[in-house]
Order: sequence, then C-alpha cells, then structure tokens
Amino acid sequence: MLDSTLSDIESRALSAMEAASDAAALEQARVEFLGRKGALAQIGKDMGKLAPEERARIGRLLNEVKQKLEERFEQKKAWFEEQALAARLDAEWLDLTLPAPGARPGALHPLTQIQKELEDLFTSLGFAVVDGPEVETEWHNFDALNIPPAHPARDAQDTFWLENGLLLRTHTSPVQVRAMERFGAPLRIIAPGRVFRNEEVDASHEHTFYQLEGMMVDRDVSIGHMLYFMKALLEAIFRREVTVRLRPGFFPFVEPGFELDIRCLLCGGAGCPVCKQSGWVELLPCGLVHPNVLRAGGIDPEQWNGFAFGLGLTRLVMMRYAIDDIRLLQSGDLRFLQQF
Amino acid sequence: MKFSCNWLRELVPGLDLGPRELARLITMKTAECEGVEPYAPWLDAVAAARVLSVEPIASSHNVKAVVDAGPEYGTRTVVCGAPNCRAGMLTAFVPPGVTVAGGKHIRSVVIQGVESQGMLASGAELGLNRDAEGILELAGAEPGERLPGCPVDHIIEVDNKSLTHRPDLWGHLGMAREVAAITALPLADPVREDLVPPGEPAWRVDIRDFDLCPRYSALVFENVTVGPSPLWLQARLEALGLNPISNIVDVTNYVMAELAEPMHAFDADLLHGNAIIVRRAGEGESFDALNGESYRLSPSNLVIADERGAVALAGIIGGAGSAIRETTTRIVLESANFEPACIRRTSAALKLRTDASMRFEKAQDPANTVRALARAVELFRIVSPGIRLVGGLVDSWRKAPPPPPIEMPLDWLEKRLGRSVEKAEVRRILESLSFGVEEPRPKVFLVSVPSWRATKDISIKEDLLEEVGRMVGYDTVPPVAPLLPARRPWVNEERLFHHAVRQMAAAQGFTEVSNYSFISEEMAQRFGYAPEEHLRVANPISSEQTLLRRSLLPGVHKNICDNARFFDEFRLFEIGGEIHKREGKELPREVPHLMAAVYARGGGREALFELKRLAECLMPGCEAKPAAARPYEHPARAAEIVWRGRTLGRLFELHPRLVEQGRASVLDVDLAEMFALGPLPKKYTPLRRFPVSEFDLSVVAGLRVHCAELAARIRDAAGALCERVQYLYSYQGKPLPEDRQSLTFRVTLGAPDHTLSSDEVSGVRSRIIAALETAGYAIRQ
Repeated sequence: MLDSTLSDIESRALSAMEAASDAAALEQARVEFLGRKGALAQIGKDMGKLAPEERARIGRLLNEVKQKLEERFEQKKAWFEEQALAARLDAEWLDLTLPAPGARPGALHPLTQIQKELEDLFTSLGFAVVDGPEVETEWHNFDALNIPPAHPARDAQDTFWLENGLLLRTHTSPVQVRAMERFGAPLRIIAPGRVFRNEEVDASHEHTFYQLEGMMVDRDVSIGHMLYFMKALLEAIFRREVTVRLRPGFFPFVEPGFELDIRCLLCGGAGCPVCKQSGWVELLPCGLVHPNVLRAGGIDPEQWNGFAFGLGLTRLVMMRYAIDDIRLLQSGDLRFLQQF
Repeated sequence: MKFSCNWLRELVPGLDLGPRELARLITMKTAECEGVEPYAPWLDAVAAARVLSVEPIASSHNVKAVVDAGPEYGTRTVVCGAPNCRAGMLTAFVPPGVTVAGGKHIRSVVIQGVESQGMLASGAELGLNRDAEGILELAGAEPGERLPGCPVDHIIEVDNKSLTHRPDLWGHLGMAREVAAITALPLADPVREDLVPPGEPAWRVDIRDFDLCPRYSALVFENVTVGPSPLWLQARLEALGLNPISNIVDVTNYVMAELAEPMHAFDADLLHGNAIIVRRAGEGESFDALNGESYRLSPSNLVIADERGAVALAGIIGGAGSAIRETTTRIVLESANFEPACIRRTSAALKLRTDASMRFEKAQDPANTVRALARAVELFRIVSPGIRLVGGLVDSWRKAPPPPPIEMPLDWLEKRLGRSVEKAEVRRILESLSFGVEEPRPKVFLVSVPSWRATKDISIKEDLLEEVGRMVGYDTVPPVAPLLPARRPWVNEERLFHHAVRQMAAAQGFTEVSNYSFISEEMAQRFGYAPEEHLRVANPISSEQTLLRRSLLPGVHKNICDNARFFDEFRLFEIGGEIHKREGKELPREVPHLMAAVYARGGGREALFELKRLAECLMPGCEAKPAAARPYEHPARAAEIVWRGRTLGRLFELHPRLVEQGRASVLDVDLAEMFALGPLPKKYTPLRRFPVSEFDLSVVAGLRVHCAELAARIRDAAGALCERVQYLYSYQGKPLPEDRQSLTFRVTLGAPDHTLSSDEVSGVRSRIIAALETAGYAIRQ
C-alpha cells in the first residue's frame, strides 16, 4: 500500500516542481514534499508500523524517491538562479560604442619626436647630447667657427642681431665650441636645437627652424669614419639602406668640407622632380673639423682631429611626413599637431 | 657664376666631354653645378645671307627682300621691317621652323600679300647682344655659313656659395684649370705677358693705403676707337649674362670673365692730372657712379681719385665723370687688387653689389693684375685696330713675401682620407693644379701654393687634403667604423627630464606646440610686461617680432585664441625658453618653462583642476597656494604652485577679458628649478601590521575657507597617530546658512605597534574638534 502512496507522491512532486514557474513555487513544492513536515516525512513516520523486512524495503524505496526528488529540485533551482542572473546581467547592458570619458592623449610635436629618435640613436653610438644657448655671442657663432668679421660666409646666414651686440644663433655649430670648452677631447656629441635666420617667412622659408649638430673629436679620425656614422644616421632615419655620395662643399669651420647627397629614395636614382632629375638629394653638410675651430675650443689640432656635420631637422620632418608648408610647424595649430 | 663650355674647351684643348658630364665632374670634384642650359641652340640653323634685292611693300614700313641664304636654304623671299635692310648687305637668315630668343617661333607666313620664307634677324632676336634696332650686319662669311664666331654653346651655372673660398674660380681660366686636372688634359694659358711693354710709365699711381690696396697696375692707351665689339665678343658676354656695351668696356668684362680680374677703363682726357690716387674717401665725400646713382662716402670706403676727386669706388664701380664715351681716344686701363673685407663692407653699406665687388671680396690674387693687362692689350688690338700703348707699365705693389710651403706627410694624408693613394698620384694631382711639389724627406711632401690659391684658400695641410681627396674622388673612400674604447657618454639628465615632462603632459591629454621666441611690443604690453625688460632685436623682420619672449604666455595665448576657432575644448603645452636679459653684453638667462593650457567653452572650473592634476603628476604632493592675481589672471582664480618648499610656478585662469569665448586656464612651471630639486627621494615604510581606524568629520566653515587650511588644522590636531586626512566632499544648502559650507574629511589613525583602542580614537577626535572649534569652526553632527 505504501508502495503506491510513494509512487503517487513521486509523480505529484515531480509535476508540482515541473509546474513551478518561479523559485518561490519551487520552494513551496519542496516544502510540500521534501520538507520536515512534508509528504515524504509523513511516510517515514508511517513506516514504523511495518514489519522489519517490509520496513527495510520501503526505507530503500523512500530514499530512492527522496534522492530523485532532491536532485530534480536542485536542478530546477539552479536553472532558476541562472535565469535570474542572466536577467540581471542583461539589464546591465552597456553601449561600449560610447566614447570613453576624459581627455584623449595629446601628441608630441613632430620635431620633438624626430629629435628624440636621433638622440637615442646617437646615444647608442656613444655620443652625448648637449645643449647650447639660443642667444649667442658673435664669437661663438662666427669667429670661433673660423668665420671672421667681413667673411663672405656671413652673408649666407642672415643674422638676427640683438641690441647689446649678441645675436640669435644662426646654426647649432656654436655648440661644437661650447662642448669642446666643456668636455675637451676625445669628444662625441650631438646638439639638436632651435636656430634663427633673418628671412621672410613663406611656405618653404622660416626664420625659426631646427638643426642637429654632430661632432666627433678623437685621434686620427678619417673621412671614412665620418662616412660610417653618416650612413648609420641616414639608415636609421630612413629605415632602409641608403647610398650616399660626398662632394666638395665650402663651410669655413671644416676642412675639407663636403655636401653629402643621398641617392633619391623616390626614384632610386633614375631622376624625378624631387631630386630635380639628378638622382641625388642634398642632405647634409659635413667635413673634418678645421684646426682653427679645434683651437678655438681649446683642443690641440696636432694631437686631435675630428669630423662635424649639421642636419636640418625641420627639413627632415617635412620630408618624412611630406609636409608642404614649413609655417605649420610653428603655427601651434592643433589641427596639424594632433596628426602626429 | 656662369661658365661657357665653349670657353672652357678653348682653354682645355682636347676636352671632348658633353656639357652634362662636365657639370657632373665639376660638381663631384670642384663646386656645385646648379644647372646646364643650352645657349642660343637656334644658331645651328641660322645662316649668313646676302640681301640680293629690296622692294618696298605698299602702305607698309616693311620691305620685301630677296636673299641668297647659301646652298642649303637657297634663294628666299622674306618680309623685313628693319630700317637697315638693304641690297648687298650680309645679314643673318633664320629658316622657318626655328625658335629663336624669347621663344619666338619662325614660320613661313604671308605678310601683306608677300610670302615670307623665313626671317632676317637682329642681334637681340638671336640672343647675341641687346641690339634690336636693325638686322645683323655681318662680314667675313659666305652665304649659307653659320655666323662666324657664334657657335651654339652650353652654360654651366655654378652655385656662388660653393665658390666663396675660390677667388680663382670667378674666371674661366680657374675653372679650366680644374677641368684640366680632372681630365688629365693640358691647360692653355691665354695670357702673353710679353705684351706688357717695358719703359717709363706715362701715368703715376699713388697708393695711400697699401692695406686696402696692395697693388695698382695700369696701362695708358691712345688712338682708341670706341664702337661696338665684334659679334663673337658680344655673344660671349651675352651668353654669360653680361651686357655688351662697347669694345673697350667689353674687353674689360671679357678679361674679368676669363681671368677673374675686374678691370676698369677711364677716359684719360676726363681725368685731371696724370696721377691715380688710391685713398680713403673723405667723410661725406660724394661720388657719382656709372649706374647713375650718387653715393655719400665715409673714410671706411676706398676710392680711386684724380687730383680733383673720386673717379671710381675702388673695386666696386667706376665714376660717371670719367667713363668711356663714343669720342674717347685715350684711356687709362686699371687692373688693381683690393682688400676683400673693405670691398665687402663698402658694398654692403652702399647696397651695391657688382661683378667686380663679388670677385674682390673673395680675395683676388695680386699677381694677376699685370696678366690681365697683358690679355687686354691683345684683345684691344683686335677690337680697336690702331690702338697704341703710351709708355710702360704703371705699377705700385707692396709685395708680400710668398707664403711658406706646406709640409704634408703622406701617411697623415692617408690616415685623414681613410684610404691609400699612390705617391705619384698625389704628386700628379697637386702639380696639375699648379702646386709645386718637393719631397725633402721620404714620404713627406713640401708643397708650394700658386699665388691665386694662396690669398685665402690654401695655407695648411688640411687644405691640401681636400685637393687630393676631391681629385681622387670621395666616392672611393670606404665607410669604416672607428676603433674606440667603449665609453658611456655623458648623460644630459636635464634634457631627458624635459622629454619625460613632455611624455607626461601628452599622456594627460596635452598636445605639444612650438612658438616663436619673438613677440611684439603690443603682445608684451597686453600682459603687462614692460617692453624695456625684454631683450630687443636690432634688425627685426617686422614689428611682430621685435622682442625676445620673457614668458611663454603671449605665444600660448595666441595658440588658445587661434585654436578656439576650430575646437570647443582642447589642451596644449609648450616647453620653451624664457629669455631674461642681463646687464651689458652678458648672455641672457634662458630658463626652460612648461606652460600647459586647457580651453573649454564651459565655466573653467574643471580645467583648473585638470591642470592641477598635471602639476601633481609632475610634482607629487605639490600644493596650489592661493596668490594675489596678476593683471592677466582671473582675479579670484590664481595660485602659486609650491613643491618641497619652493615656489615653482603658477596655476590660474586667464582673465576672461583675454579670451573672447569660453575659458582658458594655464599652468606655468619653471623646469630649471624643478629639475634642480631632482625627483622626490623614494623611501620604503614597512606596511602597517595593525589595523587602522577611520572616522569622518564635517566642518562648517565660511564659503571662502580653503580646504587645505582645514586639512592642515585637522592634521596638526590629530598628532602622531594621524595617518591621513582626506577631503571627501563639500556641501552647501539647507540646513546650513547661506554663507556657510560644510567640508567633509576622512581621518585615518593608526599606530605601528598596536591596534588603537576606542578611547584612543575618540581622544584624537575630541582634540580635532576642540582645535577646530577654537579656530571658530563648527562641527556638523
């Protein structure tokens, strides 16, 4: 008789749990059938009246039913919990296409970036990065660089003179002399910085621009050594192998002096508008340091010699990004600067 | 400087390189060629032609001419408008299909009913001279022949800057010597020095200042006929861009173009007395030049004078009063040498650059004056038949001793060059450039320098290194890494620090700008800076840039205004030098500053705190101390930035008067001071082993009481157990009175060796409250 009651409870309990539409209804079903005062508990109480053999058999049966119902209950409870979590999380839907709050990262000036790149390169080659003043003495800017007063080379560098006879440096070369005064020989330095020429400004001329001066002083420095560093420099800048050529160039602070050309990267030397059909692009002046310049820096030219070069950073930035108007660099125009 | 390939070929017989290859070699070994242009390429097609007959054309000034243009072109009919067109003359015929000077294209056309089968051309139309008055009058040619002495040429243009140090290359002979050395061909010197006669000079020269005029040579000529030069001479000058004037003047220009020695011819009958005086000008002395201008001179200028006054501005330009005229029959031909700096200064001061001044300022060779005279004698005899020399050479010269020869060890040469060169090759190169070479000791050359390279160009062995290097070709030097000890370079900490500041500012959303070092007076005044406190530019380009900036603010302010046209909100910064002038000639102090700015259309409050956060990122723990506002600052929104006891900068909103729309705030920090303080030292404190206690306090205070002041009072009162006082929020409104706010702080207490008891915590709390109440603040319960 209890057998049929048990199977009746089992089927009722299963359908009650099946019918439960939420966690509360399920719990109600649990209490009704599995609770301490539930239907199965009642069977447990009634079992005491049975014969021992029969009691053992019904007891096993009861346990089986109880286990089955509990399993079913846990299963369904977990399902309800999962549903609840899913519903809560779904309510937390977030539009990730919204822009992030706060300021966007700013940009570093393209000149800063190229300058830093070259500082790192030369530091790795054993060069110190040195600074010099932008307001200079005539002596450091000209005389010490073997450009005496009334030298025609002064024509080439239209100078901003200041009321007290000082000037705005027309090139970074005076830092050569300051570095020699400060560090003596041997010496390997670069000096990036701002220079000034008294020129009308247009799309390709600026009165304020940036150069990078380089100098090495050691024993028996040769043109071959200079070429080595120039090639390393240009390959780092253009990130590919380059072909260079040296030809005579006149700069009073070097002897011999050179213009260094690079085989045109656009046409590979065949000739194009960028290289004016010559296959070569003039890139930087360089040379072996003139003994008078070494002397001006307090270094004995019989003991030491070296090379020096000057790189136009502004021109390099314009080449790298194909910038067509030099004025943009000093314009402070964020529409331009935020592109870098 | 322009070089004629034909002229170079004359001076280097056997030269058979094309003009482009010649230009390339010159570029690689001597000086930079900027271009090669053909000169009068149409001359290949232009033929001499005899005018056979001329008939007028009704109601026209033109005539119908029948010409014999030789076997190739035959007999042609042309319409000609030239007044000198007449039967029997020999002139120049241009066949149809040819383009002549100025792009004028000749076609077979019918003009006034006459078919014109070509053109009879003037010198100007053929680019041979500037005579457009009539068609060419030729002689010494048969119809059909090309114009005598006027072949097609190519002109190589060399960058003047690359000739600054080479006085000799301002004439064709100098460049021809280079070409001869490059090609290993002989050089043909056109000068016959024996043409200068010996004997008593007919003129005297009195040099009053040998420093400014080391040499003055001259010759006197009579029986001179002044007229146009022969066509070949005119064409040669025209090809170089020199204007043909008259046979006498053209010869002086020709010799200048050939030998780099500027000359000047005076009409001897217009000179007073028979002495040339070379002296400094008097103060305010006036001088009328050939160019029609009048100049006021000073003693820094050198003049050539006769007994009455200046007749030429030495080395620059001749005088109007003694110039060659059509009627001139006697001339004094000057060939002198002048000190380059004096010429350059005078030329710059008078803004008068001439072909002569450009050459003299490069330090010409004093030995060249007589050579130039000799060449002129030869040419005068061609262009002015019957001309006669009067007396011998006039010459005054303070001869300088020749420079000592230069010792050049060959092993030194190879070490500097970075490759080996055969001894014989070094000798060949130097000798081909006219250096004298001796070898007093093995492998050591003793090199004497030719006079035209000794004035300025070559005096040390490094100069000789260049001669050898460029001739062997720098492209033969292999790049080689030097063998150097591994040594860590000196580290420029300050520059690295600036880079780190830049990175931080960019990471916080600020974009870097770069402004000029110049500002205008008006910009300075707008910010209340006195113009006289700035270093002033003596020769500014414009009034926009007369002063050097003492603050980055004018530039950054301009950036703010400019960008506000395009953006509702932006952040920017600059790292640049403030320039503070010092007394006298001492270099100014250049102080690197960071200036960052935030612009927004809103109220500006957030902007200030964004900048404060940037300051805190750079200077952890820095404080903004309220400060009296400067005129350009918002009167109630200005503070000093104080870090580790030092005032390093300012944080402020720009006075709204200075910003048209929206608000702009600025952070200005002295990077030199910040760098000098160094990074904050880092010290480890063991982590607390015992838990901390916290409580919150709301302090009721006046509306303008500073948060930092209250926090400091709380910290002071809390004493040694105080771990942290943290501002949480503030509140205004009911139930507080209108003139009160409440600021809530969280106080964290702790001890290193025990957990605080509730008595200890409440003791501290009571102390804080008592201190605040004593100071007149209430605690909101």
